[in-house]
Amino acid sequence: MSSGKALSRFHQPIVVPGRRLLKGVPLKFVAKKVAGGGGKSLNHDIPLIPFIDFLLCIVLFLLASFSASGELPVDKDVKLPLADNVEDMTSAPMVAITGNTILVDGIPAGSTRAVKEANRMQKLDELFNLLKSKRELYKQINPGKDFPGVAVLQVDRQVEALVVKSVFQTAALAGYPNISFMVQNRGGGKKKT
Amino acid sequence: MAGISVGGGHGGKRAVNQEIPLIPFIDFLLCLVSFLLITAVWTQMSRINADAKVPGPPDPDREIEEPKKDKTLHVEMRGETEFELVWKEGNTVIDTINVPRKAVPLGSDDFSYPDLATKITEQAAQGSHRDPTDLKRDQAVLHTDNTTKFEEIIAVIDAIYAPQRALRIGGVEEQIPAFNVTFSVN
Repeated sequence: MSSGKALSRFHQPIVVPGRRLLKGVPLKFVAKKVAGGGGKSLNHDIPLIPFIDFLLCIVLFLLASFSASGELPVDKDVKLPLADNVEDMTSAPMVAITGNTILVDGIPAGSTRAVKEANRMQKLDELFNLLKSKRELYKQINPGKDFPGVAVLQVDRQVEALVVKSVFQTAALAGYPNISFMVQNRGGGKKKT
Repeated sequence: MAGISVGGGHGGKRAVNQEIPLIPFIDFLLCLVSFLLITAVWTQMSRINADAKVPGPPDPDREIEEPKKDKTLHVEMRGETEFELVWKEGNTVIDTINVPRKAVPLGSDDFSYPDLATKITEQAAQGSHRDPTDLKRDQAVLHTDNTTKFEEIIAVIDAIYAPQRALRIGGVEEQIPAFNVTFSVN
């Protein structure tokens, strides 16, 4: 008999092994809690607070580097030289030399062809007249105020000094002796203010 | 979702707990980020100064002032192998220094003249306007021939602006370039 009882243990159906502890708790939801639940929950909360913090950091960085004045118009064919010891851009008439054309604030103001053909420095009449009219306009709008005489030259790095000198001289004769050359900041040096 | 709990709301009173609408807030932030990224300016445009030295008065309305005979540093870049730095007082040459014209490449299409910048920085000590309370700066005049490329002119002007000196205004001290550059068109 005893051997038969012992054998009956092995006649039980094969079951998957599992947790045996705390199975006897009568309340089902308590048993489920204390036994570790019925499985891993598939719902996930997105960590919104760090996400918002991250977004706020980006917004603050972008706002700090935001320029309300917008990008200065530079012709895609003009490759500006680089420099370290530079100053911030200022509001002044922009004289651009693109190819053979001279533009003042986007308005055509003559050509450099005459200078290149003559191979000597020349006063550029169209540029002179346009800059002079801008100067007179400034004086009419701001009576009694000193004229700063600042113009910014936007010149390609491969342009020869002869053309630069001609434009420079013409601007100076038209009442703009304080010329600034537009450059790209190389980033290594300090910006003068 | 996130909320603000300030207690209360018991005994039939209106609840004062508020839910912060996080989703519209995140949408707003994302729009702001997109706008700022699109309008961001990544290239830094700057300027480098040069006064004109041309025959005749630059401003026809003003009389020409008789220039004071200060020491000026003339930077001659007409030579192919070297720069010439000439200290002049009026028309009198005081000193001449030759600097080898050695361009150091900084990338594929960029270069500088560090030797020239070092030499000009040494020479800046000889200038007339070194006192921190002196508002005037020493004058450097750049001479070049007609075939020089613009990028070389800018590299030399950049080297001239390298030396700095102190300027004190109202107890506040700041560093300014030791020289003011005049571009000679003669």
